[in-house]
Amino acid sequence: MFEELLDNYLRFLESLTVEHFIRLFWFYIFFEFMRYFLLEFFVLNLWKLSKLWNKKKYAQAKKEFHFEYPLVSIIIPGKNEGKHLYKLVQSLNEQTYKNTEIIVVDDGSDDDTPTIGRDLEKAGKLDVFIRNEVRGGKASGANTALRFTKGKYIVHLDADCSYDRDAIEKIIIPFYLDKDVAGVGGNVMVRNYDESLVTTLQAIEYYDTISIGRVVTSYLGIYRIISGAFGAFRADALEQVKGWDIGPGLDGDITVKLRKLGYKIKFEQEAVCLTSVPNTVKKLTRQRLRWDKSLIRFRVRKHKDVLIPNQAFSFLNFFAFLENITYNLLLNFKWYFYLGDMLVNYRSMLVNIIITNVLLYTLTNFFKFVVYSLYRARTNASYTYFLIYIPCMVFYFGYYLRVVRTIAYIQEFFFKQSYKDPWNPSKTSVHAKKMNL
Amino acid sequence: MAELKVNREESLVEFAGFKFLLINPEDGLSVEKVQFHNAVIIDGNDRAFIRQIVRRIRSDNQPDIYLKPIFILKGININDPFVNKLVDGTLFSLDQIELIIPEVERILTKTKDLHFTNSLSFEAQMIEKTISFMYTCEIQDLEPIPYIYSSNNYSYPILSVNFRQRDEHIALDILEIAEREGIFDSSYIDRIYLCPSCQGGHLTYREVCPKCGSSNSTTEDIIHHFPCAYVGPLSDFTNEIDDQLDCPKCNKRLRHIGVDYDKPSVLHECKACDHKFQDFNVKAKCLACTTDNLVEQLKGKEIRKYSLTKKGELAAINGFVSTSKDIEEIIGTVKFETFVTMLKYEIERLRQTEGASNICAVHLSNPSQIYSKMGSEVQKVLLKDLVKVIRSNIRSSDIISFQSSSTIILSMNEIPTRIAKRILSEIIDMLKRLIATTFKDIDVEFEYEVIKLDYKLSPQLHIQQLTKAFG
Repeated sequence: MFEELLDNYLRFLESLTVEHFIRLFWFYIFFEFMRYFLLEFFVLNLWKLSKLWNKKKYAQAKKEFHFEYPLVSIIIPGKNEGKHLYKLVQSLNEQTYKNTEIIVVDDGSDDDTPTIGRDLEKAGKLDVFIRNEVRGGKASGANTALRFTKGKYIVHLDADCSYDRDAIEKIIIPFYLDKDVAGVGGNVMVRNYDESLVTTLQAIEYYDTISIGRVVTSYLGIYRIISGAFGAFRADALEQVKGWDIGPGLDGDITVKLRKLGYKIKFEQEAVCLTSVPNTVKKLTRQRLRWDKSLIRFRVRKHKDVLIPNQAFSFLNFFAFLENITYNLLLNFKWYFYLGDMLVNYRSMLVNIIITNVLLYTLTNFFKFVVYSLYRARTNASYTYFLIYIPCMVFYFGYYLRVVRTIAYIQEFFFKQSYKDPWNPSKTSVHAKKMNL
Repeated sequence: MAELKVNREESLVEFAGFKFLLINPEDGLSVEKVQFHNAVIIDGNDRAFIRQIVRRIRSDNQPDIYLKPIFILKGININDPFVNKLVDGTLFSLDQIELIIPEVERILTKTKDLHFTNSLSFEAQMIEKTISFMYTCEIQDLEPIPYIYSSNNYSYPILSVNFRQRDEHIALDILEIAEREGIFDSSYIDRIYLCPSCQGGHLTYREVCPKCGSSNSTTEDIIHHFPCAYVGPLSDFTNEIDDQLDCPKCNKRLRHIGVDYDKPSVLHECKACDHKFQDFNVKAKCLACTTDNLVEQLKGKEIRKYSLTKKGELAAINGFVSTSKDIEEIIGTVKFETFVTMLKYEIERLRQTEGASNICAVHLSNPSQIYSKMGSEVQKVLLKDLVKVIRSNIRSSDIISFQSSSTIILSMNEIPTRIAKRILSEIIDMLKRLIATTFKDIDVEFEYEVIKLDYKLSPQLHIQQLTKAFG
C-alpha cells in the first residue's frame, strides 16, 4: 500500500513541469511563499541592517529616556486573577526600570482576588488596588485603571503573564526613537510551551507570527495590534482616544484608534513577556474564535472608514487594513477556492497534491524556524526542542487554524456572535451591538 | 445619747468615741492627719477639691490612711462615678453623724483583721491595697466603670486611683497578675484598644490616604458608561447647562443606572499628595502622645469584671505575698520586721545613753510611672542599684530596709542629725546621677526625710513620722 503510494508519488514528481507546478501550487507560490517567506525574509534583512545603522540613535534614545526618567504607570485589569498577582508583581518589582507605579483593577472578581490585592497593596508591592464590585468588562477595567495613573507612559499587562527584568525599559525606549510613536507592542512568548502538543504548537506559532511577523509589519509601518498582554502607550494619546472601547478585540481596536489619529505604532522584539496559552484544543478553539471575530467586527465593520478615501485618509492605515483583510479574510476563502479548483480539475492527483503541499509547507517551516533564529531576540526554550514538532505546523496552521478562522468569520459576519460572547458582560455588549461598535 | 463635739480650728469632730477629721478647702490638701483619726468627713461644695482629697487619701501607701472611711458633708451631688466608688457615704449635716457610725465601726473592725506584708513588689503592693480595701468595704466585685478621665476609657477606681491618669493601663496588667495568682475570678465586659507607644486609650480614628497618611481628601463616585466603556468620576459627566449627565467620550446622555451606566466604585483623592485611591487606611491617632497608629498595630486589651475569690479574701486578711511577681530580698537589706525590731532596741539603748541616732527614708515619689516605664524586672535592677549606692555611703553598722517597693528606710546611729541629713543629701545626689547615666529615659523623683530618734516614742510612731510626708 505504502510502496504503491510512494511509487505513484515519485511518478507524479517526475512528470511535474514548471508550468504544471505553478498551476497546481499557485496558492502556495503566490500567496504563502511570496508573502510569508520572501517578503518577510527580505524585510527582516532590511530591519536587521537598519538596526545596525541606528545603533547610535538607539543608544541616544535610551540615554534620553534615563535622563528624563519618566513615571511609567503599569495597569493590570482583570477578573479572578488573584492567583497570578503575587508572581506578577514580583516580576514587576524586579524590573531594571524603577520609576513605575503598579495599578491593579479587580473587575468584579468572585474569588479571593480582593483579599490578595489589598494585602499586596498594604505590603507596598503594588501602588493602587481598585475593586469594582460589579463586573464591567476588560475595557472598563482598563479605563478605571487609567483614571488612577499619573505616569507619562501607560503599560497594559495581563495578570497571568510575567516579564523579563528589562521588559519595561525596553518597551518604553521606542517612544524616544520617534516622537510620533504612541503605542509599542511587546514580544509575547509562550511560558507553558511544554505542557501539551497544543501549547508547543502555539509556542512555534508565537515565535513566527509575533516575534518575527510583528517585526516585519512594524518595519513596514502596518503593525496593527498591540497585544493586551504587553503593550505600552503614551498617556496623552490614550487620553485623546478616551481609553479602550468594548471588546472582545479591544487591543486591536485601540491600536487602530491611535493609528487613525496619525500616531505610529511599533513592535519591540526585545521587550519580552511570557504568557500561558490554552492547553487544550477546546480552550484554544474558543480563544481563536473570539480573536478571529474581531477582524470582522473591527476591521470590516467598526473601522471600515479606514478603507474609504476621506480627509483623514492614511495610505499606511489603508495598506495595513488591506493587508490584514486580504491575507486573513480573503485568502482564507481563496484557499477553499484553491481546494475546489484542485477537486474539480485534478481530482485524480489530489493525494499527490496534498502530499506536495504538506512537504512544501513543512520545508518552508523548517527553513523559516532555523534561519529566523538569527533574527529573533531570544527564545525561552531550546530551538531543538521544537524541531520535531515543525511537521505538525502545517496541519495546525494550514488546516486547524484555517477552519477555526472560517467559522469565526461566518459567525461574526452573519450572526454578530461577538456581542454574545460572555467574555464581555452583556449589559455593555448590548449597547455596542446597537451602536455598531 | 452621745454628744457631738465640733472643733473647727483643729478640724476635729468627735462623736460616740470616734474622731472624725473634718477637711475643708481652707485646710488645703494635706492628708497626713488622717492616720490619727477614725474617719474623714470632707466638707465643701467644690467637686474638684473633693475629688483631689479622695484621690489623695485612697492613693496613699499607708493602710491607716487609705483604708479610712470617707464621707462627704452637705450631700452635694458627686457626678463623678470614680469618686462615688471611693467614698463611703454622704451627710447632709453633721447632725446626721449618728447614721454613719455603724458603717465607720464596721470598716474599722474589719481593718483590724488585716495584716500587711510590706512586699517589695509593686504589683503585690497594689494587689494587697486593692483587696484590703475591698475586704474592709465588703466589696465583692471590682467592676470597671466607663470613665472619660481615664486614659483607658475604663477605670477600676479602687485600683486605678493609685496611678496617674496616663499610667492607668498598669491597672489592667496588675489585675491580670492577680487573676493568675488566684486572687480574682473574672468575666468579660468589653475590649479596648490602646496606643502601642504610650498605652493611652484616647484615640481618634480617621480614614487616611494610604500613601501620605493625610485625612484631607475628596470623594467622588466613579461612573462606568456601558456603550463606550468610559470610566471616570462623576464630575467628568456633569455638564454646566443642566443637571444631566453626559459622557465625555461618546457625548451620549446617561439616562438609567444599571441600563446604560453604573457606579462600580468610588474615587478618593488626597488633597495633600494628589494620590488617587479607592480604599482608605484607617489610622488611630493617640491624643496623648500624638502617635498615628495603623489599627492593626493597636494593643487590644480585655476589660473584665473581677470577683474576689476565697483565696483573695484570705490574702486580704493575711497579707498578700505574690508567688511569682514578688521581689526577693535585696542583698544589703534586712526585712522590714527586723528593721522595726532593731529600731526598738536602738530606742531602748538611747533611753539609757541619751546618744543621737537617726532614721532616714528615701522615697521614690513616682513609683507608678517608674513601673509603667520599666516593668518589674528593670525596676528590680533599679532598686538593687539604689541600695548598692546607699550601702557604700553609710557605715556597715547601719541597716537598710524597704518599707515598700518605693520607700527605703535606713538607720544612721550615733551621728548628729545635721550630719545625717548632709550624708543623705549627698546620697540623693549620687542616686540622681546614677539614674541620669544608667536609666536615661526614666524620670525618677526622690523625696527624703531624716528624723532624730526620740526614746519617748514607739518605733511605729517614728516610722509614721518619717514617712508621713510621702504621698
